[in-house]
Amino acid sequence: MYGIIDCDNCYVSCERVFRPDLKNKPVVVLSNNDGCVVARSNEAKKLGIKAGMPYYQLQEKFPGQQVTAFSSNYELYGEMTGRVVSLIRQAAPNYFRYSIDECFVNLKKMETPDLKLWGEQLHQKVMRYVGMPISIGIASNKTLAKVASHFAKRYPGYKHCCLIDTDAKREKALKLFPIEDVWGIGRRYAAKLKSMGVLTAWDFAMRSPDWVRHTFHNVVIFRTWRELNGEDCVPEEEMAKKKSICTSRSFNGMISEFSDLKTHISNYAAHCAEKLRQEGSVASAVSVFIRTNPFREDLPQYENFVEYPLYTATNSTITIVKACTQALERIYRPGFQYKKAGVIVMQTSPETAVQSSLFDLNADQFDKLKKLDRVLDRINKVNGTETVVLGSQQYTPKTPNGKAEVFANVIKHDFRSPNPTTRWSDIILLK
Amino acid sequence: MAKVKILGKGFSHQNELKFADAIKAGFPSPAEDYRHDGLDFNRDLIRHPEATFYGRVDGDSMIDAGISDGDLAVIDRAVEATHGDVIVAYVNEEFTIKYLDLSHQKEGYIELRPANAKYQPIRISADDDFEVWGVVVWTIKPWKR
Repeated sequence: MYGIIDCDNCYVSCERVFRPDLKNKPVVVLSNNDGCVVARSNEAKKLGIKAGMPYYQLQEKFPGQQVTAFSSNYELYGEMTGRVVSLIRQAAPNYFRYSIDECFVNLKKMETPDLKLWGEQLHQKVMRYVGMPISIGIASNKTLAKVASHFAKRYPGYKHCCLIDTDAKREKALKLFPIEDVWGIGRRYAAKLKSMGVLTAWDFAMRSPDWVRHTFHNVVIFRTWRELNGEDCVPEEEMAKKKSICTSRSFNGMISEFSDLKTHISNYAAHCAEKLRQEGSVASAVSVFIRTNPFREDLPQYENFVEYPLYTATNSTITIVKACTQALERIYRPGFQYKKAGVIVMQTSPETAVQSSLFDLNADQFDKLKKLDRVLDRINKVNGTETVVLGSQQYTPKTPNGKAEVFANVIKHDFRSPNPTTRWSDIILLK
Repeated sequence: MAKVKILGKGFSHQNELKFADAIKAGFPSPAEDYRHDGLDFNRDLIRHPEATFYGRVDGDSMIDAGISDGDLAVIDRAVEATHGDVIVAYVNEEFTIKYLDLSHQKEGYIELRPANAKYQPIRISADDDFEVWGVVVWTIKPWKR
């Protein structure tokens, strides 16, 4: 069995831990530069506030409503979600974290007779320890676990954990599940399916394999169909959010040196950048994660995941590698034996739609980097992959330290909350 | 003297061995049995790292409990709050540190009691939406800055 675990309204929930007065009230978190809404509390969703709505419209469209807005505070969210993942790791050592607030766990070797109870208790523990509500969907494959997680989130009766472990439950759930919400079915395909009378996940699952193959000629869709019918065929790495590219590896042996990790991360980053250029898209954020081996209980355990915004969306190898190594510097701790690391580039969009940020310090370099990448790609294509690489990608690095540029300070964040878990100056005051 | 290489796995549950990547064959060192990792507040005093938060005492409402302005409080959210604990709660839009007094639960209220005659207890009725935010497990008092 697999479990999908994610934090409910993650950023809002992080803010509420230190602002308990905002419980049951509409709260939103804004994107970088306070441009638009990126996270909403359930109350804000009920008011009709949409994800992506520009902040100024919020004031226009909801006059008189007490909506509390926060600037995004990734330092806080990263630390708080790290606590959540640490608790998940203790409950299910075979886990894969694929975004700041989502984890998938492989429960095959678990000796828990009652997975539903296991999930409910995990939610209670995380709620009590960290103050973060989580939802857990459990099923025989990842697509069905995603379906289960929707139910766990939507209906309080599930006590934050929904288990689909019989064909009867699967049928019941899929009949209630709109086709457009099925993981792996894009908006375009959902529209096509609906026009053919396929409205629910069940309608789709009941079609014949030949029909699915001939109608779509698409492996991903066919795989989704197989998973809805109970097969297990989606690999771990594809768990990462849509519109993102993930490169991760488990090391042969373990690594503790920063310089060694940096080399790996640089290569994963370069690989992601190359993929972005191949598909003609750009990313607006990168994530880096590192972790020790959770099965070596004798060794000290550590894992961290950090999301790092790119102030101008890019596919430049140099920029992405640099952002990833900076991100790595923030989460690397000496004294641990690392087993796995990865890079995820996120929120990709077509290259043509790039808007450079007003605050980007490197706006004038943009064209130069682009030319450089084009040359890089051409050389590597003609002369074989990795003929030309960045210094940091070489597996015999000279010095481990690169300098971190502090450009977070020029970004606008009028409503940023304090950092009570990462800065002594910001810890809560007790009257 | 011959050296024996220890392979990680078989000894994996023994923490001390992580420094001993090679040991000497022959008489064991008499100090071997007494070796321990150093004392470490993070490891030894923090029982639930994921549930531990810190706060700075602001004011003198707990002065008679030996908790003064500027002290650092270590707050554990995993610990169940019981009568008489020093706890942190969120009341009137601020965090407060007080004794938890559950002796009036039958009468339908609980009290957050200060340790300073200048302050009044805070009464919380059973109908109020109230939660203990965390239990104070340590306070750290600076003597010299």
